[in-house]
Amino acid sequence: MHSVVRPNAWTVIKLPSGNTRVILVVPNSTISLGKYGSFPANLIIGRPYHLTYEIQDKKPDEDFCRLRIVPTEELYADVFADEESSACETPSAEVPKPLLSTATGDGTEITVTENGELVVRSGREASDVLVRQTLTQEQIEELKREGSNAGKDVIEKLLLSHTALDQKTSFSLAKYKALKTKKYIRRFQMLPVDIPNFAHWQLEEREPGKIMDMRAEMLGLVECWGNAHFSGEEAYLEDPGATCTQGEEALAPIRPELLKGRWLVVDDTCGLLTAAMAEKMGILQPDDDDESDRNEPQQAPDSDDEEQPEVAPKKDGSDAEMADVPGTADKTGEATAKRPPPKPRASDFAIPFSQTNTITILHAASQPNLSFLSYWGFDATAPNHPPHPLVNHLLSLTWLQLLKPELDTTYSIPALTAAPEELASWKPSRRGNFHRKRRRFARVRHIVDATRTGNFSGLVCASTMDTVSILQHTLPLLAGGAPVAIYSPTLEPLARLADLFSISRRTAWTSGSAAETVDKTAEELERWPGSEDFPLNPMLLLGTSIQTSRARQWQVLPGRTHPLMTERGGTDGYIFTAWKARPAEGKVAAKGKFKRRKLDAGVVVEGEVAV
Amino acid sequence: MPTMATPHRVSPFLEPGLRTKPGSLAVVQLSRDNFLPVYLQEHTGEHDGYIEGAVVNTRFGSFPHSTLINVPWGSQIRASKVDTGSRGRKRKRQLTENSEGATPEPATNGAKTDTAEPDDADAETALKQAVADSSGFVHILPPTPEIWTTSLPHRTQVVYTPDYSYILYRLRALPGSTLIEAGAGSGSFTHAAVRAVYNGYPGTTPRRKGKVVSFEYNEDRYHKMQEELTQHGLDGLVQLTHRNVYEGGFLVDGGRSPEAEAVFLDLPAPWEALPHLSRRRPTTDDDGTEWVSPLHPKKSVYICTFSPCIEQVTKTVSALRRLGWVDIEMVEIMNRKLHTLRDRVGLNLQVDRGVNNSARDVDEAIARLTEIEERFRENVRPSRGEDTEMAEEEGVSRTRAAPRTEEDAAAPTAKFPWQDGQLITRGEPEIKSHTSYLVFAVLPVEWSDEAEAAVAAKYPLGKEQKVVGAMDKKAKKAQRREMLEQKKGDRKSRRKERDEKLAEGAVV
Repeated sequence: MHSVVRPNAWTVIKLPSGNTRVILVVPNSTISLGKYGSFPANLIIGRPYHLTYEIQDKKPDEDFCRLRIVPTEELYADVFADEESSACETPSAEVPKPLLSTATGDGTEITVTENGELVVRSGREASDVLVRQTLTQEQIEELKREGSNAGKDVIEKLLLSHTALDQKTSFSLAKYKALKTKKYIRRFQMLPVDIPNFAHWQLEEREPGKIMDMRAEMLGLVECWGNAHFSGEEAYLEDPGATCTQGEEALAPIRPELLKGRWLVVDDTCGLLTAAMAEKMGILQPDDDDESDRNEPQQAPDSDDEEQPEVAPKKDGSDAEMADVPGTADKTGEATAKRPPPKPRASDFAIPFSQTNTITILHAASQPNLSFLSYWGFDATAPNHPPHPLVNHLLSLTWLQLLKPELDTTYSIPALTAAPEELASWKPSRRGNFHRKRRRFARVRHIVDATRTGNFSGLVCASTMDTVSILQHTLPLLAGGAPVAIYSPTLEPLARLADLFSISRRTAWTSGSAAETVDKTAEELERWPGSEDFPLNPMLLLGTSIQTSRARQWQVLPGRTHPLMTERGGTDGYIFTAWKARPAEGKVAAKGKFKRRKLDAGVVVEGEVAV
Repeated sequence: MPTMATPHRVSPFLEPGLRTKPGSLAVVQLSRDNFLPVYLQEHTGEHDGYIEGAVVNTRFGSFPHSTLINVPWGSQIRASKVDTGSRGRKRKRQLTENSEGATPEPATNGAKTDTAEPDDADAETALKQAVADSSGFVHILPPTPEIWTTSLPHRTQVVYTPDYSYILYRLRALPGSTLIEAGAGSGSFTHAAVRAVYNGYPGTTPRRKGKVVSFEYNEDRYHKMQEELTQHGLDGLVQLTHRNVYEGGFLVDGGRSPEAEAVFLDLPAPWEALPHLSRRRPTTDDDGTEWVSPLHPKKSVYICTFSPCIEQVTKTVSALRRLGWVDIEMVEIMNRKLHTLRDRVGLNLQVDRGVNNSARDVDEAIARLTEIEERFRENVRPSRGEDTEMAEEEGVSRTRAAPRTEEDAAAPTAKFPWQDGQLITRGEPEIKSHTSYLVFAVLPVEWSDEAEAAVAAKYPLGKEQKVVGAMDKKAKKAQRREMLEQKKGDRKSRRKERDEKLAEGAVV
C-alpha cells in the first residue's frame, strides 16, 4: 500500500458528510468537491494519506484555494471541551471567555467561546417546535458565498440565529451542531484506495449489487476461512526455447511438484473478491513502495540494487509474453523500467506465470469480469500490459476450457508453425500476429493443463451461479485439507448446499444406499457426476458450516456512547466453510468405542459417527 | 531469537505441502467441532509404551502416529487395534505378540499400508504394523489459524475468528508489513496475524519481510508461547518479548524500532500503553534520553484495541484523540453460526429422532380425526343397530377409507428420510453474544514544513487545466466535447493511448 498520494493514482476523498468520492488524482488538474469547494490536485500529490485538509479562502492574488492541514486538536475541539466540562463537576466553575453571546427572551444565554465551543445555559426540556431558524435560505446562500473561514462562520451564524437553541438539551444541541458542520464545513480527508476503503465505497455509495452486497465482515471472513496468504517465492518454468518450427511438442510440460499455493476463485463481484485475495497474497500492488519511499527523501542508492534481482525476471516475462508486437513492446518495457542490459528475448512458449502464489479464476463468459482491478492498475484485457504482479500471478480460464478443452478453439487448434525463411519474408505485423498467437496458445495450454492437474490450496467463491454445480467440478481439483469458502448474500443457497452434506446423507452414502456408488474407485467417487439423490459426493467435504457476522458500530463521545441509530440493511451475507476430505477407500466402520459392552459387538451407533 | 540464515523448516501453518510430515503439527478432527492438535512423531525406538509407537487415543479408537504420517492432508484415517490396557507391561505383551506369529492381515486403508516401514522389523524395538479396527475414524487436517483457534490450549480469553478476521482486514495486515501485538495471550491472534503478514522467512530474499512483534507480560504464558512458536516453525516470523508494555514500551532488540504499520492491543488498559505508540516523545515522560518511535516513520499506522468493557473503550478513545489518532471507530462483532436441518412433521413418518409426530397440515388433521370418529362409531354401533344396517355402514366406511390411503400413497414422500421435510436453518444453541469492543484508529504520518516545502517544489501550482470530480453543467459539457474530439482516430491509436495510460499509472 502506498503511503503517499501518487500522481495518477486513484484515491478516496472523504467528505465531512461521511460520503466518499473515488477520484483519479491527475497532476496539474483541479479537484472539485462540489459544494465543499475545489482545489489544485498538486496540493495533495506527494503528501501522506489520512491527513485532513481544510479548503482555505482564495487569497486576493491567487485564483485557486490553498489547503491547510487541520491538526487533530482542532478536529476534536468539541469533544475535548465536552470532556473538560464534564471533568469539572459544577458547570459554572470556570466560565470560558465569551466571544459572542446572545440573550434570548426568557433569560437563557447562548455563548460561543474562544475555542469555538457553544455553551447554552438552560435547564429546559427539549422542544418539539420545528422551524426556529431565523436565517432564510437566501441569507444562508449569501453567507456561503461570502463564505470565509472554511465554512465555520456559516455554522456559527446559523447556531446564533436559531431561536430555540436555548430549548435544546446539550445532546440535541451537539447533534444540531454536528449536522450543520457536516453540511457546511469545507474539510476533506485523503484515504488510499485499498480493499476496505474501496469495498466500503462500492457498498455504501455505488452499486452494492455489483459486489453482491459483500460487507467488510464477510470479506474478512472469506479471506480467513479461504486461508488466503502469501505462499512461496515466485518460481517460473524454464523457457523451452521453442523455435518457430516447433509446435505443441515443444511446450514446457507441467511440473506438478512446482505448483504450490494456488487458489481457485469464482468471482462475480467484478473483481473485488479477486482483488481482496490478491491483496492478502501480496500480489495486488507492486512491491515498490518502500523503495521509492526511501529513495525520495534520502536518496538511498543501495535499495535499488536490492530490488533488482527480484523484479527483473518479472518484468522481462510480462513484457515479452504479453506483447502484441514483440519488438516495440520490448522497447517500451525497457524504457519505462530503466533496465539497461537487454536480456535475450524469451521464446514463444516461455510461460510468464509463476508456479506458486497464484490465483486461478474460473469464469462463465469468454472474458473474466475483473473491471475493479483497474483501480489497482491492472487491466485484464490489455494485451500489452506493463509490469504488474497480477500479470504473472493471475490465471483465468473459462468453464469450457476447464471441463471440455477440446471444444475450445484456442486450446484445441494446434500451434502455428513456420520456417524461419518464410517468417523473415513476412510483413512485421503478420510476424507479430504469428508470435502473438503462438504465445497465446502456450499460455492457454499451460493454464488449462495446470488447472486440471488439481491440488489447489483453496477454493473461494462469490458467485451467482448454482454453488452445487460449481463444487461438483471444483472439488476434485482441491488438495486434501484445502479450505472451501463460499459467500452468498442470502442464506438459502448455502443451506441447500450444507444439506447435501448432512449427517444422515453421509450415513446413507457410506451404508451403500446409493446403488451407483458400488464398485466405484476412489478416483471415480471423487469425480462423482451427481445423481438425483446425491448431487454431490457427501464425503468430499469436512466440517461444513454456515455463519454470518455483523459489525455493529458505536458512537463514542463523552457521556453519549451508544450504538449507531441506523445502519445499512438489506442482505446480511453468509459464508459456507468446509475442508476438502479424502475419504478412505472401502467401507469404514464406526461403531464407537465408548459404548462397548461385553455382549453387543457390532452395533453401529449412527449418531456418533465422526463427521 | 534463532533467526537469520538458519535453514528454515517452513511452518505447516503457512505451507503445509500435500502430505503430513513427521515432526510437524497436524490437527485430528474427531467430529464436527472437535479438533485435537497432534505433533506427529516418527517411531524413534523408545516408544510410549505402545507397540505401535506414539498413539493418539480418542473416543473413536486409537490412532498410531505411523498411520497419520505421510498421508495426504484431509485423509480419513481408520482406527487401529491398539492394546491400550497394558501400558508398562510392554515386555510381556511383546512376547505374546511374537508367539502369535507373523503380522496379521494388513489394513485395507490404502494410505496406511505404505506408512509402516518394513525395516522397523529389525529395529531393536520392532514397530508393530497397525491393524485397522472398526471402532471409528478421524480426518487429519493441516493446521490453520481457524482450526488452531478452536483447538488451542486456553491460557487467556481467545480472540476468535469472527473478531480477528475483521481486525486483520481493518488493520491492513498484508504480506510484508510489521504488526505489533501486545498481550499474546493464547496465541490465536498471533497465528492469524503471522499468516497475514508472512511473505517469506527472514534472510531468504532482500525484500522487507513481514513480522509479528509480540509482547507478553505473564512469564508462564510467555514461555509456553515461545515453545509453541518453535514447534510451529514460526521463529523468525514472530518475535516474542516478555515485557510489561505499559512501562517498557514496544522497542525490540535493545532499543531498535520495529517500524510497525499495524498495532493490536489486547490489554486491560490500552490507554497506558498508547503514549509509547506515538510519532514523537509523549509529553508525559521526559527523561532527556533519545526517544525512538516503534512506528513506521513513513506510513500511516493502523491500530485496534480489544476490550470487553465500555469504560475501557471510553478511556482508550479519549487517549487516542489526545494522541492525534484519527478515524476513530468502535464496533462490536456479532457472529452467528447456523445449522441446517430437516424439519419433519407428519403423522405417518417413522418414529425417529427429530421427528415431530403431529399433523402436517389441516387435511392430515381432518383425516386423522375422521378416522378416530369412525372407529368410535364402529365401537358404539353394535349396541344400537341391526345386522343389515351394520353391514351396509361397514361397506360405506370401507369405501370411504379406501381413497384416503390412496391419497396418502400419492402424497409426495421422499425416497430417503433425509430428503423429507422442510429444509430449515437454526442458530447454534449458545452464541457468543459479546466478545469485546473493537476500537480502530489511524495515525497519519507526521508532516513537517520541510517535507511540505520539498513536495511543493516538486509539484508546482498554477498549471491547472482540467477539472476532476464534481462539476457544474458547463464544465461537464466542455469536457465531454473535448473527449469526443479525442475519440477520433482508429482503434489502433486508441489502444496505444490506453497502453500509455496504463504504463503511466504503473511507473508512478
